[in-house]
Amino acid sequence: MPLLVQERQGKLQVKQSPYESMLQECLRGELRLVNTGLPQSQKRLMDLLSEEHPHVVCNDGSTHFFKKNELEYLASVLDTDEQRTLLLPMLIELGANQAEAAIICEAQVEEKVISEALNMPVKCEEGRIRIYKPQLALLRKKLKTTTVYVFSPKIVA
Amino acid sequence: MPQLIKVRPTKIELVKLKRRLFLARRVQKIVKDRLSILTMEFLQTARDAVEAQIKLLDGSSRLYKAVSIAGGYHGYIAMERELIASEADLKVAVGSRNIAGVRIPSFELTGNPEKFEMMRYSLVDTSSWLDHAALLSKECLRAIVELAELQRDFELLAMEINRTKRITNALEYVIIPGLQATINYLSMKFEERDREEKARLKRVKVLIALE
Repeated sequence: MPLLVQERQGKLQVKQSPYESMLQECLRGELRLVNTGLPQSQKRLMDLLSEEHPHVVCNDGSTHFFKKNELEYLASVLDTDEQRTLLLPMLIELGANQAEAAIICEAQVEEKVISEALNMPVKCEEGRIRIYKPQLALLRKKLKTTTVYVFSPKIVA
Repeated sequence: MPQLIKVRPTKIELVKLKRRLFLARRVQKIVKDRLSILTMEFLQTARDAVEAQIKLLDGSSRLYKAVSIAGGYHGYIAMERELIASEADLKVAVGSRNIAGVRIPSFELTGNPEKFEMMRYSLVDTSSWLDHAALLSKECLRAIVELAELQRDFELLAMEINRTKRITNALEYVIIPGLQATINYLSMKFEERDREEKARLKRVKVLIALE
């Protein structure tokens, strides 16, 4: 939080107390840490199936590897057109409500995958499939490497 | 009793403290969310590790029996001679993945499970007991690799949970209560000052009225 704002040479200079800087750094650090595993870009299931070591590059430059048996499971659930549509890893957004998580989806194919994995019908609303924590645990058990967590900045608002 | 922060009793300091409290609560929210996810993953990993361990123990015991039977059938020297040909280098693909900010290793035994790489011995000169043992040994190898990954996940997640818990506890029991107590103390002090000021003004008003 800016405490003192001074205008110097046309630029805004913000002064902070060391305590606030430390807290803010802690907040930034935590956000940075939890979202380092996010991929720079998602890949299609079809492309991943053809790779020898299927992986995506994360924001911090590291690589996130996919398990081949998970990819094969997804391929068994989907037909060829759907395999071209499904983007991996799927993003699980953790929001303000601690009891819920949302899976970010752009197409109907995610809906099919999630309902197959959870063995129950799910519905995509406003680009999100909302599931509860016990279902999240079940989903993560089946799709360990093909899903990643996103800590949304909304939760800190 | 939370410890008061040493600050000058001014309104500016009160505003600063309120901002600090707001910030501390935001940090606490993120850290708590992360902790709940890490705990969920930790419990899942623990369950998976137990399952993998049982699978490995069960597989090893069946493998030992199968090798004993095959050894008894062929004779250990003849079996060893046959198995020398089936020696193959194991390839484990090592990668990493990220769970809520924790980088954990990922191991996968490469090779097509449909191909019987471990069965390079003569199928004519050997019995099906040896084939059975070879299949079981492959299952055991997969279980070992799986267990190695899960054990490492388990350790890394536990370490991260400890670290996150320390931050959560520091925020919950030290930083936030300290800030709240100081804010309350300052607020009460300012209210008291206001009341004193009012009383003083009333007294002055009475004195002026008497004159």
